[in-house]
Amino acid sequence: MKLERARLLPLLLLLGTIVSPGQTQPAPAETEAVQVIGLAGLKQNTKGSLKVENGSLSFVYSKGNCDFPAASMQDVVTGRDSQRVIGGTVGTISRLAPYGGGTALSLLRTKLDIITIQYRDPNGGLHGAIFTMPVGNAELIKEALLAQGAHTSIPSQAKSTTDSPLEREAMERMN
Amino acid sequence: MKTIKRATTLWILIAGLSAAPLLCEESHPAASSSAAAIEVQMIRPGEINLPTEFQVALYENLVQELQKKGVFSQVYRDGDRNAAGAVDLVTLHTAVTGFKKGSELERDVTTVGGSTSITIHCKFTDKNGNVLLERDITGKVRLIGDNLKATDDFAKKAATVAQETLSPDSSSSDAKKSGYKNVI
Repeated sequence: MKLERARLLPLLLLLGTIVSPGQTQPAPAETEAVQVIGLAGLKQNTKGSLKVENGSLSFVYSKGNCDFPAASMQDVVTGRDSQRVIGGTVGTISRLAPYGGGTALSLLRTKLDIITIQYRDPNGGLHGAIFTMPVGNAELIKEALLAQGAHTSIPSQAKSTTDSPLEREAMERMN
Repeated sequence: MKTIKRATTLWILIAGLSAAPLLCEESHPAASSSAAAIEVQMIRPGEINLPTEFQVALYENLVQELQKKGVFSQVYRDGDRNAAGAVDLVTLHTAVTGFKKGSELERDVTTVGGSTSITIHCKFTDKNGNVLLERDITGKVRLIGDNLKATDDFAKKAATVAQETLSPDSSSSDAKKSGYKNVI
């Protein structure tokens, strides 16, 4: 029995060292995103990249970029949704596919994260912006914004855990 | 002689008929005349559990549609300090009274179910707080589009109502087309 534990311990420690650096690293706070609505002068569903740096959030797209100071954000909220894999005009046309093909295609969906930001302009006017991004990135962006002075009405759900699940399981088994 | 008289009368009649529409147009003011400034207040979800993305999409779409329609010379956002100095300021207060979050997947598969709808009570008031117009407006997405498209539908309808009721030219052809009736 002791021999088993002795074998298990180095293995778990090794796994722990592999997993831990990934969790202790600071969040990258940069992700590919789609601006759904809210940025002046931008069409709906503009693709770009969202980045948090130097106390502001910047959305970089093919023709330029938009910056908002994190301190002006009075609410940052994340959510989840899903969308059709084949979207846009092609997606609409694909609905007409014969023998239920259109219906089958609509079953192919990807999950995505939503981040909704409400901020004030220098005149005090309230603005809202919605971005979608790959799953798991919205919380990172939100955390980064909160760290740089943004506010939220819903506290972050992603509580940072000090131990990895593997380490916790190992500790339980050891005890 | 009779033939010349008839021909002259005919020409006069034709000329008169062709000029009639032009005269009618002149008697109506231009449809693009702007009324005043409007301040759009943030959508209040009230007791309805409305996701934040819907709340923001409703607000942003509403601001965009009102700007697009050009009914008001200036569209101010909630809290804009410049609104205080605006002459003839109309304020739009909105409260969500109903929300059904459908499913895009269900809409795609069944084509009859899964519709999304949002009902919002809109109240337009003047600077003294007098109610100019009150209306329940519903935004829907029934077949094609994601759930947030219902917010776009609501905004278009609300802007049309504002155009019909608060524009000086409220009897424009657009107003008649939309099927809404002025209440106040």
